[in-house]
Amino acid sequence: MTTMLFAKALSVERSGQRVLNNVSFKVDQGEVQALLGGNGAGKSTTLLTFLGFLTPASGSAQVQGKESRDDVGAARRAIAYLPEAATLYDHLNAYENLRYFLSLAKADAHRRTLDAALERVALQAEAREMRMHTYSKGMRQKVAIALAILRESPILLLDEPTSGLDPAAIDDFNRLVRELAEDGRTILLVTHDVYGACHVADRIHLLHKGELAGTFDRPSGIDRIDTEAVHAAFATHAAVS
Amino acid sequence: MNGLMSRLFTIARAEWQLWLRQRLALGALLVFALLLVATSLVTALKASQEHHERTHQQAAAEASFLSQPDRHPHRMVHYGHYVFRIPAPLSMIDPGVDSVTGQSMFLEGHQQNTAMFADARASAELGGFENLTTALVYQLFLPLLLIAIGHGLIIREREDNTLAPLLAQGMTGIQLFAAKWMALAGLSLALLLPLAIMGAIAASQGAAVLASAAIIGLYALYVLVWCSLILLVSTCVRSRSIALGILTLCWLAAALIVPRIAVESASSAVPAPSKLETDINMQAELRTVGDGHNADSPNFQQLRANLLAQYDVTRVEDLPVNFRGMVAQSAEAGLTEVMNRHAEERMALEAAQARFAASFGWLSPVLTVSAGSRALAATDLATHHRFLREAEAVRFDFVQGLNRVHAEQLAYRDDINRNRDRQASRRTRMSADNWKVLDEFSFEPAAAGERIANASTPAAMLLAWLLMLTAIGILAARRMQP
Repeated sequence: MTTMLFAKALSVERSGQRVLNNVSFKVDQGEVQALLGGNGAGKSTTLLTFLGFLTPASGSAQVQGKESRDDVGAARRAIAYLPEAATLYDHLNAYENLRYFLSLAKADAHRRTLDAALERVALQAEAREMRMHTYSKGMRQKVAIALAILRESPILLLDEPTSGLDPAAIDDFNRLVRELAEDGRTILLVTHDVYGACHVADRIHLLHKGELAGTFDRPSGIDRIDTEAVHAAFATHAAVS
Repeated sequence: MNGLMSRLFTIARAEWQLWLRQRLALGALLVFALLLVATSLVTALKASQEHHERTHQQAAAEASFLSQPDRHPHRMVHYGHYVFRIPAPLSMIDPGVDSVTGQSMFLEGHQQNTAMFADARASAELGGFENLTTALVYQLFLPLLLIAIGHGLIIREREDNTLAPLLAQGMTGIQLFAAKWMALAGLSLALLLPLAIMGAIAASQGAAVLASAAIIGLYALYVLVWCSLILLVSTCVRSRSIALGILTLCWLAAALIVPRIAVESASSAVPAPSKLETDINMQAELRTVGDGHNADSPNFQQLRANLLAQYDVTRVEDLPVNFRGMVAQSAEAGLTEVMNRHAEERMALEAAQARFAASFGWLSPVLTVSAGSRALAATDLATHHRFLREAEAVRFDFVQGLNRVHAEQLAYRDDINRNRDRQASRRTRMSADNWKVLDEFSFEPAAAGERIANASTPAAMLLAWLLMLTAIGILAARRMQP
């Protein structure tokens, strides 16, 4: 298996504070992994470091075997990143948003290609010409996922992708993530939703105050990670803090 | 390179699309466009009307002078003549100091009538707010519009969480800065279209094409300075309201506070005596020259002796020239020398005050562009001074021309007896053909090359502003983080 993302004894400081301390994990191609933790655990910091927005204080953050800070452009070309709030332009419709971001990423933006991606994320055809400010959070998330699909990036970094979605939308989203992984995409998502992470991820890394507090794997032949074990570990750390 | 330009253009185009779809931005643009069109129309009509009126008045004044009947030439010296400064074609864009200086002058013997400045106040007040002109709209209101529309260009991406995805598409902070700069600069340059149209109209009415192009170039440089400042603040500050506050303060400082400080400082640094003080001093000096109406004055004894010796006669009655006319010529030359010296001193002080005030352009691009704009439009203080000098040259020439007629064509005996002898009085009435000593007055703006040279310092200052702000903006953009 090719290793797509590799955090090696990664430490990061922000505003003089160490927010990530000696964290190590790797994500292979086609895997879905989740970073789970409470607020301030260092989850989003990890993603931003892979993207080259933050520089490690020590250790390394590698994308496709290369240090991201050494070639930020290459790292960002390999990654499709969805921030926490699905950030799209309110004054543009779905097509316009997709075309805008795709043209910046020098990716294909033909109408047929866009429709195919929007079909895949199940965004209603009648909504596609409407401006984004009329969209629900779930609909916006679908457009953002469509963008990630269209970017054809081998790696997806998703920051709190199901936050604020209704249960049906979360189910749709989890299904889509699994499909993308089956297509060979590597997905690292950040969440504090224990249940959702256990259902969608192959492996969960529990982060607490910038340190890796545990790792949970999905046993072979079982469709989810042991929710109770993860929940118990999460609750223990939450209680300690 | 093409790929990069295409990406920058994509972002710029999206920004234009946003402005067109936002009611606030669209409304502000429409209000500004209406203000600009209305002001341009009014300014152009006013300039055209003034051009027509003054051309007509100049012709009428010349016709009136030349149509005077046969009479004693010294009566024509006191009849006098009017000269009018016909507005330069580019004054339809920037009337400059024309609104606070006299546009016509009454020329007569023994006096310089002029509209002189009391101090630098008038020259440095940018024409004043009372007359809204196209130049003022561009100098003061366009930056406000750009601030209102552009202050959130980069902050908005940060506040709306679109900065991270943008940068994650492979854009660098510098590229984003460049793209947003392109968006704002594109809008700014599009808003210069009415100015370009006015420049073309002025060119069609006789303005030098080079000067018209230069004035458009100068304003382009000026709006780009504001674009860079707005982008710099939008890059460095993290809240739209704070950016708006900072930029509004910058505008207040550049448009109102620094110009006021510049004017007050110029008045203090280069003190100029009041008009009354100058006039009193000048009158005292003029009295030493002597009254040209009194040929027996001791001031002209030397002239009398010189003429008698030159023509080898013993009495002024035997001179081949009219002694009274010679006295009038001598007195006028003496008075003019004194008056010109005082006028030159005063103009030098005004120019020094204006130069001192202009040095504040390093603190305010508004001051800088207004100085350059006036120089290119030929509505600056230097042009006004040139008008005063050229008018004075006309005055001196026609007065001395009439005095020459007095000296060479009018018999001295008739001259001294004209109030006692009707026949002598009739003979002192010189033919009206002699009034043709009056030259036609046509004040033309300086050549385009000279005006461009005069505007080169303000243009260089604006360029320095632009390079400095853009360089700082690029440095700030290099560190751009979501």
